[in-house]
Amino acid sequence: MSTQTPILAADKLSVRYGSFLALSDVTLSIKPNTIHSVIGPNGAGKTTLFHALTGRVRASSGRITLDGRDITHVSDDKRVPLGIARSFQVTSLFQNLNVRENLRLAAQGRTPLQALAPWRGVNPRDNALAVADEVMERLELTHVSDRAAGELSHGQQRRLEVGMAVAAKPRLILLDEPTSGMGIDDVEAMKALIRDLGRDHTVLFIEHNMSIVMNISDTVTVMRAGRVLVEGPPAVVRDDPEVRRAYLGNMITGDIA
Amino acid sequence: MIYLFQLVNGIGLGMLYFLLAVGLSIIFGLLHFVNFAHGAFYLLGAYFVYDMTERGLNFWAALLMAPFIVAGLAALTESVLLRRIYHLPHTFHILVTVGLALMVQELVIILWGPVGGNVSTPSALSGVLMLGDFIYPQYRLFVIGLTLVLAIGLWWLLEGTRLGAVVRAGSESTDMVSLLGIDILRVNTAVFALGAGLAGLAGALAAPIRGVEPFMGVEALGIAFVVVVIGGMGSYTGALIAGLLVGIVQSIMTTLWPEGARLMIYLGMGLVILTMPRGLLGRA
Amino acid sequence: MNRASLHFLLAALIAIALPLFMRSGTLASEVLIFAMAAAACNLLLGYTGLLSFGQGIFFGLGSYAAGLTLLHTSLPLALALVLSAITGAVVATGVGWLSIRRQGVYFVMLTLAFSQFFYFLAYTFKDITGGDNGLLNIPRPAIGPFSLGDSWTYYGFVAVLFLLLFAALQRVASSTFGRTLLAVRDNEERARAIGFPVRDFKITAFAISGAVTGLAGALHALLIGVAPLSNIEYHMSESILIMTIIGGTGNLFASVLGAGFYVIVSDLLSSIWPRWLLLLGGLLIVVALFMQKGLWGLLERLVEALPMGRKSSTKSSIEAPIQPESQGRGI
Repeated sequence: MSTQTPILAADKLSVRYGSFLALSDVTLSIKPNTIHSVIGPNGAGKTTLFHALTGRVRASSGRITLDGRDITHVSDDKRVPLGIARSFQVTSLFQNLNVRENLRLAAQGRTPLQALAPWRGVNPRDNALAVADEVMERLELTHVSDRAAGELSHGQQRRLEVGMAVAAKPRLILLDEPTSGMGIDDVEAMKALIRDLGRDHTVLFIEHNMSIVMNISDTVTVMRAGRVLVEGPPAVVRDDPEVRRAYLGNMITGDIA
Repeated sequence: MIYLFQLVNGIGLGMLYFLLAVGLSIIFGLLHFVNFAHGAFYLLGAYFVYDMTERGLNFWAALLMAPFIVAGLAALTESVLLRRIYHLPHTFHILVTVGLALMVQELVIILWGPVGGNVSTPSALSGVLMLGDFIYPQYRLFVIGLTLVLAIGLWWLLEGTRLGAVVRAGSESTDMVSLLGIDILRVNTAVFALGAGLAGLAGALAAPIRGVEPFMGVEALGIAFVVVVIGGMGSYTGALIAGLLVGIVQSIMTTLWPEGARLMIYLGMGLVILTMPRGLLGRA
Repeated sequence: MNRASLHFLLAALIAIALPLFMRSGTLASEVLIFAMAAAACNLLLGYTGLLSFGQGIFFGLGSYAAGLTLLHTSLPLALALVLSAITGAVVATGVGWLSIRRQGVYFVMLTLAFSQFFYFLAYTFKDITGGDNGLLNIPRPAIGPFSLGDSWTYYGFVAVLFLLLFAALQRVASSTFGRTLLAVRDNEERARAIGFPVRDFKITAFAISGAVTGLAGALHALLIGVAPLSNIEYHMSESILIMTIIGGTGNLFASVLGAGFYVIVSDLLSSIWPRWLLLLGGLLIVVALFMQKGLWGLLERLVEALPMGRKSSTKSSIEAPIQPESQGRGI
């Protein structure tokens, strides 16, 4: 184990929906400036884990710390200024607003109280606008800047979905199945993007595409039935007999770069 | 003794509120449709009884027929108009049903005048029941008895029959109902008619107690919303408990502070929202 | 010229044109007063996605606040108006804070139940509000050197306030705040996920809406010299909402159209036939079925049909922040 303080840590985190235990004593630690992936079969509790880490769902028990600070009871919107941002598995954009405005809002979310002043206009030299333009550039969305998000192609929507998280300038970025529903070409671009994001962010992502997971992750956490099964570098996880038996089988096709 | 009297009064009132609210609740449960015209069906139920008894028809016949006529009108409204707007956002459901309620209210004024009137208690039940010191009008006891029977019948309908299963499934997923091979259009009409018919029955039963006037529909709508908010939307038991609670509080307050009785109901609702945003038995 | 300035110009044109076409200064004032109330309602419905059945509360309390101030104190008119705006804002904050604890139709039902609560409150405390009779004999003092006794002079005063408030609401709608409201309306969950405390935004929108509506209520009480119980009734909430939806929820000027249409048509019809609400009910159904963008949408279609206007109208329909398909989401 590294001696480095984790950027985000979960300690015996549990989430209960009624009588259903969706997440059970999950202990996880994300090292700064790494790419960390979470894999597991459907219903393993991956998205619930994300919901709990971002504060969308309240933890039933356990503790979440960000840089050692307890944030278990901090609400979801208040975690954004602390440096956590996420994307969703099911695209969740402001469909009627244009791409630039979507990203401007996401950038503004870092300092939301500024937007609470009803008399303050949007300054053309606004920092949030600059961030929006920069993110559009990085995600190759500049040419559709004025289109409503709802009118974009699926691949573009998925990229914008990730862009919404990037625009918050987080230190930790959580991506929930960023490639879901994408065509092959788009998947390659997304893989490059995640790797690129890993250079200036800590990335935690859920993914079913093993090629991406095994190629770009520093650490892989395997979940099953709401619990952590195994955690380690891709090579170790891939060769773990229990993982092979429980989940991966012979599904690993990705080569390790 | 006055409190016992008001308590029993409150139970009667509460059972009428239950009928109103459960009608609203099942319509919403299946159709996801807030029926702002619900009060109008209550209004019609009361006025039909008023009209028929004024024309010399036997009260019992009127009481029997009124809810069915209301249900028939509701079925017609549903199949001609409402089913065309289910796919629209809530704003338009509200707009259409508010429009319907306005039209019904104005039609009532055109047909029966703006003043309203009284419906005399049927002669068989015009007497009082005396148990020692406790004296109580027979008609109100009849209302309590009848609504109790109906409440049990409704419970059976919703929990023990195919229709009930569809209503409960429908609130989960309309696709599933279609998969079951059930003609959802007819079920929608039937459920809307049932809910509206219950409101009509509540109005018909209330007519001899409180008289009729054209604005009783709006008032009933407000009460039905309060009951549903307190009890939790989509909950049969919630509607029953909240209906009784509201009825009893209103009744007892009538003795303590007559002018503030209605005020207290809404205050109570505010308190429930503060402490239990989902209502007493609400799901989501 | 951008869209906001165009709309402001249109609003100003209406304020100038009303005296030319209408014989009653009272009716003309009513148009602008309800235009303010409808625009305030639109800030909630069109921009935030909150269908509030409680606008009558703020309108009625604004009437009472101004009436009581002018009847029982010697405070100047301007202060009475400010007080009624504050009353509207404070009560709207409370009602909003409680109502947004529930979403969707439950929210709508709560606002309706609150409007009943305040109605019974006003009805019960007759000593203060005058109950059924209303608060009578409210004076209309001069403002500075200007006497407002004449109905057209008062109209001028209302018109100035209307334009000021309209511009202020436009400013709010185009601010970062207003743009965040549009985001909340579009996708509340995402707005929260990117860091916006959605509740605070909704409550602030309520407060602003309540302040404007309260002020409109005060102007109405001054107009007729009475703060009637009907100003706080369910039907007031209903009317304000109907004006807003008939006008269209896409922009603030649409509410001016809606209010003008409602006030003028109801005046015409009610003098011909007292049961005109029957027709209004029918009209609501027609609007829901065939005219979902309201009068504004109709106007846009008309302008589009003219070969000359095509260019400007396509532009405005793209810029319009709201598409009706998304309307159900927020409320």
